[in-house]
Amino acid sequence: MKKKLVASLISVAMVATLFAGCGSTQEAAPAAEETATSAAAEEEAPVAEEAVKEDAPAAASTSEAAEEAPAEEAAAPAGFDGLKANEAYDFPIIVKSFQSTYWQAALKGMDMAADELGVTYTAQGPNSESDIADQVNMLNSAITAAPVGIGLAACDTTSVLESLQDCADKGIPVVAFDTGVADAPEGSIVCTVATDNTAAGAEAAVNMYAAIKDVIADAEGQVRIGEINQDATALNIQQRGLGFVNKMIEQLKADGKTVAVVGNEFYVNAAEGADAAEAVADVIIEVAVPAQTTVEYCSNEAQVILSKPDTIAIFGSNQTAAEGVLAADANLSLLGSDAAAGDVIGVGFDAGSTIKAAVEDGTFLGAVTQSPLMMGYYALYALTAAANGDTLEDVPTAGYWYDAANMNDDNIAPNLYD
Amino acid sequence: MNKKKSIFNDQRVIAALVAIALIIVYMIFSKEFRKYSSILSMLDFSYYTLLMAFGVTFPLITAGVDLSIGTGMVCYALVGGTLIRNNNVPVAVAMLVCILMGCAVGLLNGVLVGVMGLAPFIATLSTCMITRGIGSMCNATPWPTLKQPGGWFHSIFKLTFGQGRGATKFPIGFILVIIIMFVMEFILFHTKFGRYTLAIGSNKEATRLSGINVKFYHVMVYVVCGFFAGLAAIAYAAVVPTVQPGTGAGLELDAIGGVFVGGVYATGGYGSIIGSFIGTMVIVLLKTGLPYIGLQANWQQIITGAVLIIAVLIDIMKKKRIQ
Repeated sequence: MKKKLVASLISVAMVATLFAGCGSTQEAAPAAEETATSAAAEEEAPVAEEAVKEDAPAAASTSEAAEEAPAEEAAAPAGFDGLKANEAYDFPIIVKSFQSTYWQAALKGMDMAADELGVTYTAQGPNSESDIADQVNMLNSAITAAPVGIGLAACDTTSVLESLQDCADKGIPVVAFDTGVADAPEGSIVCTVATDNTAAGAEAAVNMYAAIKDVIADAEGQVRIGEINQDATALNIQQRGLGFVNKMIEQLKADGKTVAVVGNEFYVNAAEGADAAEAVADVIIEVAVPAQTTVEYCSNEAQVILSKPDTIAIFGSNQTAAEGVLAADANLSLLGSDAAAGDVIGVGFDAGSTIKAAVEDGTFLGAVTQSPLMMGYYALYALTAAANGDTLEDVPTAGYWYDAANMNDDNIAPNLYD
Repeated sequence: MNKKKSIFNDQRVIAALVAIALIIVYMIFSKEFRKYSSILSMLDFSYYTLLMAFGVTFPLITAGVDLSIGTGMVCYALVGGTLIRNNNVPVAVAMLVCILMGCAVGLLNGVLVGVMGLAPFIATLSTCMITRGIGSMCNATPWPTLKQPGGWFHSIFKLTFGQGRGATKFPIGFILVIIIMFVMEFILFHTKFGRYTLAIGSNKEATRLSGINVKFYHVMVYVVCGFFAGLAAIAYAAVVPTVQPGTGAGLELDAIGGVFVGGVYATGGYGSIIGSFIGTMVIVLLKTGLPYIGLQANWQQIITGAVLIIAVLIDIMKKKRIQ
C-alpha cells in the first residue's frame, strides 16, 4: 500500500515535469499548426499587397509605410533607407508560439517587409510559449540548414545561448525580435528589435497620473496605486513594472508627495526613489505578483488590492495581468474613467479583444500597446541588411498609449490585435 | 471498520474543520476578505475546480486517475469559444459541444483503460497531451461577456440584477454545485453504477467474477469524468476573460488534490462526492485566500502542498489502525 502511495506521489511530480515537455512528443500538432499559420499568412497577404501597390518602387513604399506607422517610424535607423536584398534570401523565423494574435500581427509586419524587400521567410514556433525545449530544437534544425540569417523571439533567453554560440561559430547572423537576449555570445545577435519596456511602463504611469492627479492632490488620507505583474523573473515584465513604478514615484515626488512601495520583494527593492514608510506615506504603490502566471491568480491578487478602500488606480502590466484586473472587477465594478466621481482608474497593457472592449467602454482608462506589426516589419529589414553584410544597431520600438478616443486611428489600430 | 468510531475518524469532518478554520483566520486578519465581492470572486473561481473534482472522484475511486481534465477543460472551452466567434454558433450549442467533447475524450480514456488495459496514468497523460495540442490550434478566444449577445450563460453561475456599481449579484452557481453534489453522492452510493464503481476500486477481479460487466462500468467511470470536465469548461469560460491556448496543465491537480484532501482512498475503493466538495473547497480557499492575509505567492504553493501531504498521511494512519 505504501508503495502505491509513494508511486502516486512520484507520479504527481512526474506529471509536472512531463508537462514541460508535453509538446515534444506530439509531432502532429505543430505540423498542423504550421499549415494553419501559412493559411493565415495567405489571408493577410492581400493587405500587404495593397500597401505596396500604391508606390511601385520598394524604397518609396518603405518611406510611405514609415509615415503611416506611429512615431517610432520617424526615428527609423538610417541604414534601412532604400534597403534592397542583394539576393532573394529566405529566412527562418522562430516565434514564441502561434497562440496569441500578437504573433499573427508580427507575421503580418513581416509579410509587408518581405514584399517590399523581395525576400521570403518561413515562420515556425512551438505549441505554447512555455515549450522551451521544442523551440531550441527548432532553432537547432534551422542552424543545420545554414541560412543567411535567423529571426528569433526566444521563449527562454538562457536556453538558446548554446545554439547562439553555434550561430556565432558558423557566422549566421541572428536578429532577436520581441525579446532581447542579454548574455548572447559575441557575434551571434547582430540586432535586437524589441519594445523599450521601461519606456512603455513609464508611458502607462504618465497617462494614469494625468487622470488621478487631482484625486491625489485633494486626498485627505493615504491613497493606494496597485500594480499586477505576472512574474518577477522575465526581463520584459521587470522592466515594464519598474518603468511604471519609477515614473510614478518621480511624478508624485515632483508634486510634493511622499511615496512607499510595498508588496513583492523584487519590485520593492528595485524601485528607485521611494522616500517614506508605509504607515506615513501619502501614496502607497502596491506591487503584487501571483503564484502562477494565469489569469485566475492575477485576478485574485487584483481582487485583494481593489478591495482596499484607499485604492484609486491599478495597472496590469501585460495581457494576462490586465485581464486579471478585469476579471476581479467583474464582481467589484469599481473601475471607470472618472476618477473625480470615485472610479478606480484601471490601465492595461497589450491588446486582445477583452482589453480592447474594456478600453472602448471606459472600464479601462486606456492601455499601452506594443507594436508587434512594426517589430516584425523591422526584424525582416534587419535580417536583410545583415545578410547583405551591413552592420546594424538595435531597433527599439515604442509602446503606444491608446484609449477610447484614439484606438481607431490609423497608426494605432493595426497594432491592436484581437 | 470500527462501528464506534468518533466523527473525527471521518476525514471529511477534519477537512470541513480546516476549511472553517481557514475562513475564520482570513476573516480575522483581512477586512478585505470579509467583503461580499471577495466571497463572490472566490466562488466564481471554485466552480470549475469543483466540477472537475466531482468527475475525477470516480476514476480515483477505481484506483485510477484522469490527468486529461485540466487541459481537456481548456481545450473544450477554446473550441466552444472559437465556434461562437468564428462560426456564429449559438452559445447553447457551444456548451453542448463542450460537454460532448468531454464525454468523447472520457470515452477514449475509458476504452484505453477499461478495455485495452492501459495504465490510467499513461492513458490519460496521452489524452492530456492530445487535448493540449488540439487546444493550442485555436486562437485565444473570449466567450461573450455578460453585456454581449449570448452572455446569458453567465447567469447560470451568477445572477446579476441592475447595472454598474449598484448591481446586485447572487452566486447561484454555488447552489447548483451543491445540488449536483447531492445528486452525484446519491448516484455513487445508491445506484448500480455507483456501487459497481466502488466495487471495481475495492477488488476488480472479484467484481468481474461475480458476473458484473466490469469493462462497461469501467469505461463509464471515465465518461462521467469527461462529462464533468465538459461542464467545468463552461464554468471556466464564464469566469476567465480570455481562454488562452496552451494553458490548463496543472488545473487538474487542484481538483485531484482536493479529492484526496476530501478522503478518497489513495488505493481506491472508497470516496465520497461530499468529501471531494469539502476537500476542493480547502484547496480553493488556500489558493484564493492566502494573498488576502498578505502571504507572498510562493507560500501559497508550499502551504497547499503541505496540506495535501497531511491529508494523505491521515488516510494512511487510519488504515494502519484498522489493520
